[in-house]
Amino acid sequence: MIGQSIVLAADVPFPPSVEDFYLPSILPWGGESYWFTKITLLVWVSVAALIIFFLVSNRKPQLVPTKKQWLAESLYGFVRNNIAIEMIGPRGVAFAPYLTTLFCFILVNNFFGIVPLIQISPNSHIAFPAVLAIISYVMFIYVGIRHHGFVKYFKTALIPPAPWFILPLLIPIEFFSNFLVRPFSLAVRLFANMFAGHMLLLVFTLGGFAMLNANAWLAPISVVSWIMTIALTFLEFMVIVLQAYVFTVLTASYVQGALADEH
Amino acid sequence: MASCETPDAWTTAVVRGVPLSFVSPADIVRAVMTGQKPPGNPHGDDGQNPPDTGMGMTSISYLLGGMLVWGGIGWLVDHYVGTKGIFAGIGAVIGTAGGVYLIVRRLGA
Repeated sequence: MIGQSIVLAADVPFPPSVEDFYLPSILPWGGESYWFTKITLLVWVSVAALIIFFLVSNRKPQLVPTKKQWLAESLYGFVRNNIAIEMIGPRGVAFAPYLTTLFCFILVNNFFGIVPLIQISPNSHIAFPAVLAIISYVMFIYVGIRHHGFVKYFKTALIPPAPWFILPLLIPIEFFSNFLVRPFSLAVRLFANMFAGHMLLLVFTLGGFAMLNANAWLAPISVVSWIMTIALTFLEFMVIVLQAYVFTVLTASYVQGALADEH
Repeated sequence: MASCETPDAWTTAVVRGVPLSFVSPADIVRAVMTGQKPPGNPHGDDGQNPPDTGMGMTSISYLLGGMLVWGGIGWLVDHYVGTKGIFAGIGAVIGTAGGVYLIVRRLGA
């Protein structure tokens, strides 16, 4: 085992860099393009897995659910009752399918970050969280406009209840906070968590090899470093679930804000 | 079965003209089959919307937003007038005040 590690350690790059997130091209094999890499593959796999899972588990719904059906129903029930209805109220039922899809997609994609041998999450590239954030952003604005009408929606969103002479001071802040920070913070929160998680695991894994490479006497510390990797993987699991939940809850909260009537 | 007798508004919602129940028939039947009480009010509270979970984020974005927006406008003024940051400072302070005011008005009781 140790001998193998030393052989491996010869070409282990340390410290890890952003380049480590750009994986080699699969199609064309070994090419320079980034159009079809492991990341792309993982996204397709997750989409396919989710579609197949939910279709199969609801093909013949039983009153006494099978294990698969129970899992699918619990997922949907959790998002519907504990996120959609809890945050948005009775109208939230209409958003439960979107929120469940969002939750499951983020959860599966994040989870790739700690699956052995896969160990990278597509969400550690900002493109994917950004697209998800844009979908949520467009949706809550659309929902607000449909509910209130264009002028009234922006009036509710931008004009706080305040005397007229402070409004010029407040409206830019409202605009910034409601329409610029929201999509940005949604995307960056998810991306940064996944990026940092992958980086952390890389540092501890490669660090072990680097120390071993530098001096054989450091081998015990390398082992500690690898044990830390395993411990951090469990920490990552928590982050993964939490970030999927936070993204969904915040989307629901924005929808709730868009639907809310003036008090 | 007393817990079934909740007002209609809690157990059904009308979405685009279609009444939807929060409690699916299977949820009720399964609970009876296993000898549990059926779920009454799925909120678990008295039907009110819970406090907004996004509140913390909102207040932070108001505070930072106020500082950045008016600090930025002040910085632009500095740039054109040729001063060295006095307007940016004033802008940041005013923006923070605006942010605090917004938090009080929007999120306060």
